Parts: sequence; structure tokens; C-alpha cells
Amino acid sequence: MERFLQYFFDGLSQGSIYALLALGLVIIYRGSGYLNFAQGEMAMLSAFIAWWYEGMGLSPWLAVGVAAVTAFVLAMGVERFIIRPIGHRSPFAVVVASIGLFLGINALAPFLWKVTIPEAVAPLFPNDPTDFIRVGGAEWREQNIGVLLVLGIISFVLYVVFQRTRFGLAMRAVASNPESSPLVGIRTGQVLAVSWGMAAAVGAIGGAMVASLRGNVDPSMMLAIFFAATAAATLGGYDSLLGAVVGGIALGVFENMVAGYQPDVIGQELKGVVSLLVILVVLLVKPSGLFGSARVERV
Amino acid sequence: MPIRLAQGSAAHWALRALGVLLVAYVVLTPAFRDLTPSQLGELTDIAVLALAALSLNLLIGFTGQISIGHSAFFGVGAYTLAILVGDHDWSPGWTYPVTAVVCFVVGALVGIPALRLKGLYLALVTLALAQIFPALVRKFDDLTGGSQGIGGLRYDAPAWTGLEAGRRGRSEWLYWLAIGVFFIGYLLVRNLVKSRVGRAMIAVRDNSTAASVMGVHVAATKTIAFGLSASLAGMAGCTFALRQTQATPDNVNFTIVGAIVFLVIMVVGGAGSLMGPLVGAFVYYRGDQFTREIPTKSWLPESFRDFLQGRPNLATIVFAATLIILMFVAPSGLVGLGKRIGARFVVVQPAPPGHHAPMASDSPSALVAEGDDAPPPPPGDETVSQPG
Repeated sequence: MERFLQYFFDGLSQGSIYALLALGLVIIYRGSGYLNFAQGEMAMLSAFIAWWYEGMGLSPWLAVGVAAVTAFVLAMGVERFIIRPIGHRSPFAVVVASIGLFLGINALAPFLWKVTIPEAVAPLFPNDPTDFIRVGGAEWREQNIGVLLVLGIISFVLYVVFQRTRFGLAMRAVASNPESSPLVGIRTGQVLAVSWGMAAAVGAIGGAMVASLRGNVDPSMMLAIFFAATAAATLGGYDSLLGAVVGGIALGVFENMVAGYQPDVIGQELKGVVSLLVILVVLLVKPSGLFGSARVERV
Repeated sequence: MPIRLAQGSAAHWALRALGVLLVAYVVLTPAFRDLTPSQLGELTDIAVLALAALSLNLLIGFTGQISIGHSAFFGVGAYTLAILVGDHDWSPGWTYPVTAVVCFVVGALVGIPALRLKGLYLALVTLALAQIFPALVRKFDDLTGGSQGIGGLRYDAPAWTGLEAGRRGRSEWLYWLAIGVFFIGYLLVRNLVKSRVGRAMIAVRDNSTAASVMGVHVAATKTIAFGLSASLAGMAGCTFALRQTQATPDNVNFTIVGAIVFLVIMVVGGAGSLMGPLVGAFVYYRGDQFTREIPTKSWLPESFRDFLQGRPNLATIVFAATLIILMFVAPSGLVGLGKRIGARFVVVQPAPPGHHAPMASDSPSALVAEGDDAPPPPPGDETVSQPG
């Protein structure tokens, strides 16, 4: 039981990070139908920006907040000046462009700050070896609780924005019917740009969580997490925000259980296999995911 | 006004022959110029990348199935050769057909879930495949040598080639091997896309629902495309392993980066273009080489060189920016761009159905059917009917 709880707690925080990235993927997918391959790298760059602000004297939490705002603005620019014009030409070109962004942003962080080794960042949560709560014999570290709380707050804010504001209504309208929403006076372009901004800001917070748990920022820190986040979004359903959260947490817990109980077969190095299997099984059994709406195609 | 050439006319054939000669000159350069082994190695790398991009072009460009996981097939090919040569003392030449079969099977297996998946989801599955391949290699270290990999992969030039022994002869032989395999792959893809199966692939790409209504077996077509594509990628991996003389899981071409590079080369050259992969591989390789050397160029202003001091990754950033710009100016790649520019100078007009090519070239006005001026249709031709 103690071992089970331990894996469960570790999985919860890992899953929260997957969920934060998956939320960004889902927000963009709902609006425009694109899979943003650069989502993880945008989060990585934001974590670097937060580290940079911190170096300029901002407190860690303030640095994360300002980095999230910066990411919001940058991503709006990316949508407006790169994704949207290319999308008018061909959807495949957008896939290629976002792969270009993936490569470019991954290379940009070391280039901008002359980073060759991981740079240390201050932890956002109490991080001493004694900072944990004992539940049923297992150690639930306070930083893991903190990450889970952050996910809860972000999910709540997104819920309010999507369900209780006029702009959220416009976003849902664009997601459900992109052709007709301009006819009722919704500025689709603005909605899409803000979607990208929100996705990047949520991703930035995810990136900051990863940096805080690792204790450093590194250009490769989001690679594996991004792949897991795509699996989480698939599990939850690509057009469901709730699905992204549930899918992320479920994948994180499941992955940690499998790796923990089968250290010889799966272990830490083959965690990615769990994501692949989850993607395959979901797509073969229920392609729309747990909470996604099945798409009906008219022929 | 562009010059108009009728398809199949003497001038058109001359233009084609010129193109073939140009490519042949570039490809056959090592035969009449003394290149150093490292120069030959670079050309070998280009041929390997071109074959990998060609395999992807068959799948994405012609069948419309996105794969971001071809590094895995490339890696399976490299490891098939490494295991057979390194552990079982096979001659490398014989591993190619075996690799083709192994990769066909692996590719078709991956293709089976692809039958139910489209676009985005297929990209995800293949992406995950690329992500786990190096981890799988490390895991099954009895077979693959784990992180150490398998080394000592050499292919000495066979005696019948008359190439000298040693490093020089080996690199020259490897170049001819790479070019030969690429050429076989090229012919295969070229003939395939012009055959019944190829037309089925293009139909699946353009509209799979319509294709199945027309009687195309969509599932079989996708599976075959996946298998063949993986086969070609695997053979590229074989040559790559010989060029590296080893196979290790850390090699970037076996990771997700490799998959992206193949995809990018294909896109840069031109999706759905037969010559695209070769053009793309050449431009990518030379461009990458050039941008890597930028910080050391003396013609740059001093202040800019100081700025670049100690900043890694310039090549990747320039490359990514170029890729995004290319999507703005030429989503159909360099070959597409070249065709568009070329069309301002020379237009090849297709021969009308039923007409014999030389006739069409004699009277190009027939193509626009200008009423009375148009020549009467040749006897026995029922497809062309002139208004009375």
C-alpha cells in the first residue's frame, strides 16, 4: 500500500505537468484543428525566459508570471504572422512550419543565452528533504502537492474563461463551427490568436513547474514530456479540456505505476512505450478519446 | 511570352536529355574527378539522405500519410545490417535484400493501425515510434549491443569493381553503392507512381472516400505504401551504418531529429516530386555545412562575429527559419518553385489525347482548337471531335 501510494503521488505531479502541456495542445486544436508540435519547446523557451527574469532580480513566482505573459504575446505573434498566413495555403504546410518552430525554438534558447549546460533555477515550492506530508506511510512531497494545486488553479481559471465569459463563448463557437461564427460577428482571427496565447501561457506555467521540479532549465527538458502530453491529449480527447486534465493525470499515474512495478520490463528508460501503447489502444478502441466528441464526416 | 514546346516533340526530348545529363554529370562526378575519401563520404551522406527522403515522399507526397517516425525504419535497417554483418559475418551486400524484407514487414505492421488513422493521429503514432526506438535499442542490448552499439562495419570494394583496397577504395565503393541503391529506389518509386498501384495511392491521398468508391482497396494501398516506404528507408539506413562503420542508439539519425530531417529534406525538395529528395538532400547538406561555418567567415563584420562567439546552434536556427520562409514562398518545395519559375520561359504543352506526338508539335494551334484553322483529326481518332 505504501509503495502504491508513493507511485500514485509521484504520478500525480508528473501527470499534472502532462496535463498542463496537453491543455495547451487542446486549446489550439479546438480552435484551428492544428497539432502544435512546438508546444513543448514554447514551454521550454518560457522556462528560460522565467530563468532570465529571475536573473534580473525578479522573485521566482513573479518571474514565472511575467514569463507567462511574454509567452502569451509571443505566441499570438506566431499565430498571426506564421501559422495563419501559411494555413491559408495548405494544412500540411502548417505541420511543416510547426516542426520548423519546434527545431528553431529548441535551438534558439542556447543561442540567445549562450547556455551549454543546464542552468540552475530557484525552486517554486518548499524543496528541502524534510518538506513532505506522510500519508499512509508514503511521502507526498510538498512540491508535488504544489504542482497539483497549480494545475487545479489553471483548470479552474480556464473553466471560468471558457464557460463564464463572452470571449470564452466566442472561443467555443469558433471551435464548434469555424465557418458560421464570423457570420454572427465573432472575429475568428482574434479568437485564434488568443487561443495560441493562452496555450503558450499555460505551457509556460507547465515549463516553470518542470524547471522547479528538476531544479534547472535545459533545452531538452520538454521533449519527452511533450510526447507524453500528446498521448494524454489523445487519451482525453483532442477537443476536450476536461479530457486533457484527466488524460494527463491518468497517464502520469499509470506510467509511474507501470515503471515502478515492472522495473525490469519497462523501467524509467522505456516509459515512452507506455505513451505509445496508450495512443495506439485509444486510437484503435475509441479514436475520439475519453471525453472528445466523435467527428462525423459527411461524404 | 514563354517558349511553347509540345510534349514529346524533339525540343522537349532535348530539354529532358539536358536535364538527365546534368543530373548524370553531378552524380557521376567521382568517376572522372579525383575526390578525397572525405568528399566522397559527403556525397555518400547526401545519397543516403536523399533515399530516406524519397521513401518518405512515397508515403507523404504520393499517398498522403504523414509519418514523423521514419528514423525508426532507418534505424531498423541500420541495425539489421549491423547485426547480420557484425554478429553473423554476412557480406554487407546480402543484407540489403534482407533489410528490405524486414523493414517492409515492420512498416506494414505500423501501417495496420494507420488504416484507421488519419493525418494528425498517424503523425502522433509515428512520432511516438521515433521517440521509443533508441530506448528499445538500449533495452534489447543482447541483440543490439545496447549503448555501445555494434562497430566494425566495413564493406571492402569487391574485386570485380577494380577499385583499390583500403580506405579510398572503400569510400568510393560506398558512394557507388549509395548512388546505386538510390537509383534503384528512384526507379521503383517512379514506375510505381505511374502504375495502377501508384494511381491508387494518389487517389487515396487526394480523397480516400472517393478512392474507395471508385474501387481502390484503401487499406491494402496504405499498407503497401507503408511497407515499401519503410523498406527504402531501411536500405538508406544500411548504407548509413556502413558509412558510420557502426550503429549506436545515440546517433541523431536514429532519433526523432533524424525523422524530422528526412521530412524537412522531402519538403524542401518538394512533396510529390520525384527529383525533390535529391535536390532537397543536396541543398540541405550543403546549406547545413555552410551555416555551420558562418561564424568563422572573414567577410562578416567584426561586431557580428563577436556576437556569434560562443553561441551554439546557429545552423539549426537558420535552417528552421528557412524552412518556415519556404512554406510562405513555395509550399511545394524547391522543385515546385523551379517549375513555377521555369514556366515563365518554357511551357510544355501536353499532347491532346489520341494525337501522335510529332503531329502535335507540328501544329501547336491544334491544342487550342481555334475553329476552322484546326487541322482535321487524324483518321480513326474518335476521341477528338471538332465542331462542324
